[in-house]
Amino acid sequence: MNVLWLQRLSCCGNTHSLLNCETFNALLKEVNFLFHPSLSLESEEELLSDITKGNVKLDLLILEGAVKMDDQRIKELCYIAEYVIAVGSCAVYGNVPALKDGNVCGLQYRFKEKGGLLGEDFVSKGGLPVINLSGCPAHPEWIVGVIRSLSKGIKPALDSFGRPKEFYSSLTHWGCTRNEYFEWKIEPESLGSKKGCLFYNYGCRGPMTYSSCNTILWNGMNSKTRAGTPCFGCTEFDFPRVGLFETKQFAGLPAELPIGVSKRGYIMLSGVAKMFAPERLKSED
Amino acid sequence: MRIEKRLLSRVEGIAELELIWGNGYVQDVKIKIPSSRGIERVLEGRPFMDALVITPRVCGICGHAHLMACVRALEDAIGNVKLTQKAKLVRDITLTVEMIQNHIKWFYLFVMPDFIRLGEKIEDFEPFKGKKWKKAINVSSQVVKIIAIFGGQWPHSSYAVPGGITSNFTTSDISRALSIAESVAEFFLEDVVGMDEEGFRSFRSAGLWEELKGDIGLFVNLCIKHKLEKVGSSYGRLLTGGEVFPCITPGHFTGEKKLCSLNLSKIKEVGSPSYSSVKVVRYNGLPYETGPLSRQFLSNNPFIKKLYKAYKDSYMTRVMARLLEIWELLDAIREKLYGLYALIKEPSYYHPYQKVEKVSGEGLGMVEAARGTLIHRVHISKGIITKYHIITPSVWNLGPRCEKYLGVAEKAIIGLEHPLHAEMVLRSFDVCSVCTTH
Repeated sequence: MNVLWLQRLSCCGNTHSLLNCETFNALLKEVNFLFHPSLSLESEEELLSDITKGNVKLDLLILEGAVKMDDQRIKELCYIAEYVIAVGSCAVYGNVPALKDGNVCGLQYRFKEKGGLLGEDFVSKGGLPVINLSGCPAHPEWIVGVIRSLSKGIKPALDSFGRPKEFYSSLTHWGCTRNEYFEWKIEPESLGSKKGCLFYNYGCRGPMTYSSCNTILWNGMNSKTRAGTPCFGCTEFDFPRVGLFETKQFAGLPAELPIGVSKRGYIMLSGVAKMFAPERLKSED
Repeated sequence: MRIEKRLLSRVEGIAELELIWGNGYVQDVKIKIPSSRGIERVLEGRPFMDALVITPRVCGICGHAHLMACVRALEDAIGNVKLTQKAKLVRDITLTVEMIQNHIKWFYLFVMPDFIRLGEKIEDFEPFKGKKWKKAINVSSQVVKIIAIFGGQWPHSSYAVPGGITSNFTTSDISRALSIAESVAEFFLEDVVGMDEEGFRSFRSAGLWEELKGDIGLFVNLCIKHKLEKVGSSYGRLLTGGEVFPCITPGHFTGEKKLCSLNLSKIKEVGSPSYSSVKVVRYNGLPYETGPLSRQFLSNNPFIKKLYKAYKDSYMTRVMARLLEIWELLDAIREKLYGLYALIKEPSYYHPYQKVEKVSGEGLGMVEAARGTLIHRVHISKGIITKYHIITPSVWNLGPRCEKYLGVAEKAIIGLEHPLHAEMVLRSFDVCSVCTTH
């Protein structure tokens, strides 16, 4: 499978995320990278003109970074490629570069509005819309996983934002080592603690964000929430929200509740949880 | 006169070289870096803690340095923030780890493949295929695990906050980090310099860079073969603003005199010419180079002292400084990791202010990033950022000319006779265009 990786308005964080992947070297045995701007010796221009002339087959285009709305080059390549992946939240939603520039967007979205550079009806030759790997950056296992599936002829099932369900159907909250504190509604006394749930006071988006961060872990080691940093919801269209370390409160309740939880259910359960919380969870040791 | 435009790959982001040729050599050069993402403007109007999440997004390869500059700027603005020794050490460790990761990738992925383009048959360094190329990726992916242990993930961690760090850890976490540091030290000795530790330390103390074997030995041979040991010099004025205890301290070298101090009020930005959107930064009105060459020269690394004496701030010296810095940083990391054992019971964090709405002030944060001195400036009014300003190392090195002086990298490229050499000299500064424009 011939893979082309291009960058636009980006910090190159997804490239470095990919290079962190312990199975990246193994992937290179299975797929052929035609070009990557951070890695290749060849000239980008020559290769792109070979692709547009049809001399080189393009099986997979991966775009990192947000795009300008008039980027004809990328548009043209998206229609030539069998499959298109937008890697990272900039390429998916526009994200940071789009916040102060109305002419910047993602490949098929601008924040939550469908459309982007390619329009809402875009389908690549292989029959899929843009495969969106959101995240700031995207986890390397998501990138490698999807490339492998496509190279084996398996089309990933996508959610309503074009993201593979395999990686974006469970909440970041799953697998967090602080789950017991969430259940019993115990906040940490301050930052810098191994204990306590960051959802109640520190703005943790874990229960409102889809990703597998806490089950597959970062760098094979850890995650933000395990390291006491709240989840900032970087796989969702509204990243980076304003007030990233704060839980907005409304009438004594978090203004936003975990996905699928009713206000009534939350009030009843949290009252009971607080009352019966085990002592061992409450003290710092 | 002939104008040639070259688009550079194998840099962080995109950079364009405009070479003006005449009489067989580069008469003038302009370095162009497109595409700003407007990150400073995104920060204005937000609660100041948001900067800890947004500023790392300036750069995928040195985002952690941005986090550290940011947290220092915020702490400076808040005022009277006390940090435990434990929090300080851990921040130092993770910042240094990011530099090592950078230096390994840069040498194996960006620098060595250039010699393939010069016709050398060094298949081990071939992108996507070479043994050395693959190993370098593997080692750099290992070393950043140390950041993940303390900071949750790399890239784009936000674990340093005003008052300390968000994580707490156990002795087994320190032990895991130490094992990783040891394995990177092994890689450095076996692959980079090709000798055992005892041998390396004795050559180091005498500065005998000619004795180095391994990949750095190969690099030296290739430089000499292609006459790259003397070219690529700039002004020979070197500056380091930040600190990596105990191996790097602030100071500057005027080209004649070495001074162990830096006067921050002498750092000024001036207007840039029309071809560039990058600012011009000057110290005392003069252009200065920042980065590993400055750091290793100012901290008297014996190898770099000798190299500088022989070849000044040439392409070869600059590359060697970055590569040999890996060892100095590794030594510092190991010492600090051992130091953490005694501090394990200290708190990771103290809350540094009463009410967030009452936080107002100006702050400056300066750190050494992989490419040199990184400065963040913040203005906070009632908890909200009113102004944010970043001077990256690449602005020092790759920034354009002012009325009086050429930019540092521009000056280094003028006079070269081969277009590939021009690219290589530019890469020797470790180009980070995403940082330069942010």
